[in-house]
Amino acid sequence: MTWSCIQIEERLSEYLDGALVGAEQQEFRAHLASCPRCAPLLAQVTHVIGRLRTLEPEPAPPALISKILDQTLGPRKTKSDWLGWLPMLWQPRVAMGAVTVLATLFIIFQATGVRTSNVTVASLNPVNIYHSADRHAHLAFARSVKFVNDLRVVYEIQSRLQPATGVSANSPESAPPPSESQPKSPSQSRQKHSANGSFAYVAAFLADAPGGSLR
Amino acid sequence: MEPDAQLVQRCLRGEGPAWEELVRRHARRVYNLCYRFTSNSAEAEDLSQEVFLRIYRTLASYRTAYGGFPTWLTTVTRNLLVDHYRRTRRDRVTDSLEDVLPQVEQKHSPMRTPDKAAMARELSSQVQSALSRLSPELREAVILRDLQGLEYNEIQEVLSVPEGTVKSRINRGRIELARVLQDMGVKPG
Repeated sequence: MTWSCIQIEERLSEYLDGALVGAEQQEFRAHLASCPRCAPLLAQVTHVIGRLRTLEPEPAPPALISKILDQTLGPRKTKSDWLGWLPMLWQPRVAMGAVTVLATLFIIFQATGVRTSNVTVASLNPVNIYHSADRHAHLAFARSVKFVNDLRVVYEIQSRLQPATGVSANSPESAPPPSESQPKSPSQSRQKHSANGSFAYVAAFLADAPGGSLR
Repeated sequence: MEPDAQLVQRCLRGEGPAWEELVRRHARRVYNLCYRFTSNSAEAEDLSQEVFLRIYRTLASYRTAYGGFPTWLTTVTRNLLVDHYRRTRRDRVTDSLEDVLPQVEQKHSPMRTPDKAAMARELSSQVQSALSRLSPELREAVILRDLQGLEYNEIQEVLSVPEGTVKSRINRGRIELARVLQDMGVKPG
């Protein structure tokens, strides 16, 4: 017995789903091969299913989700954008970054001569910063030149004094006893030098010279 | 991704973010179901809101034993769609197939740019137009099976009808849709 067109229509989806097997499948195919009406129908239905399954979903309206949430959870507080960034700032790496930036600024200000206690708009002007840095560099250079020159004088005096004090300097007992008023470092000695004159400076320098003892 | 059932439990404990996540996850699906059924984006948007409002109020009645959350959501949506269809049946203007045909045929003009996006839009509008010609029973069966990709047993659960009826509706819906598209001049291949 062969199937009618009505039977074919009724079992069309089953055939397409692969649910028809054995004799039923053969009957179905036999009818399709001979029926000029059912074969195009099968092609059309196959085409429709393919189209439906490849159809892109429509995008939901942009306001839909917020409308639903407003209706269910009630109107929500909307944070403004800049407030939304605040919690992100509470992180150790941000604090570390801030400290590094401050330290860098401090060093730059020190080097360029900008006074951190009295920063004005003018002092942040690149031209002023340049002039100030230039002045500081020249001052530092002049100071180092002066220091080297002073050292040369000191060593010259030291070498002249050496034959006279060389013997007594070898015995620790004859060395001048350290006193509280005596300068403790070359920098202190230099301060003393500027205040009391070159002789006191030389004496203090010799007493505290690197190496500790005179030969 | 956190399972829906877990999100529902968190919602029941009063956690707003869990509800927000559920809405975000399923809004597009619900909207598409409504849109494919009504063929009207404004109606679909209103109905989607109504669906989620109902879901929110009856969330406590959802039990995982009933099946997956999406199936439950689809059932609620489908019931609302049927209610809406019955409510608006009297107001609806029953436009004939002849009213639709000229609009569709205009789109076959040879001047159209054959880019992919335009073709996809055309396809979507043709299918949508054809779907709207089906009876609601056949339309919902085809939408659930071939657009939403539900299995037969899930559709059976959503529609609360026997398996044989589900199969028959899907089959008749597909054949009807194929004939409508053929009448509109859409040919396979």
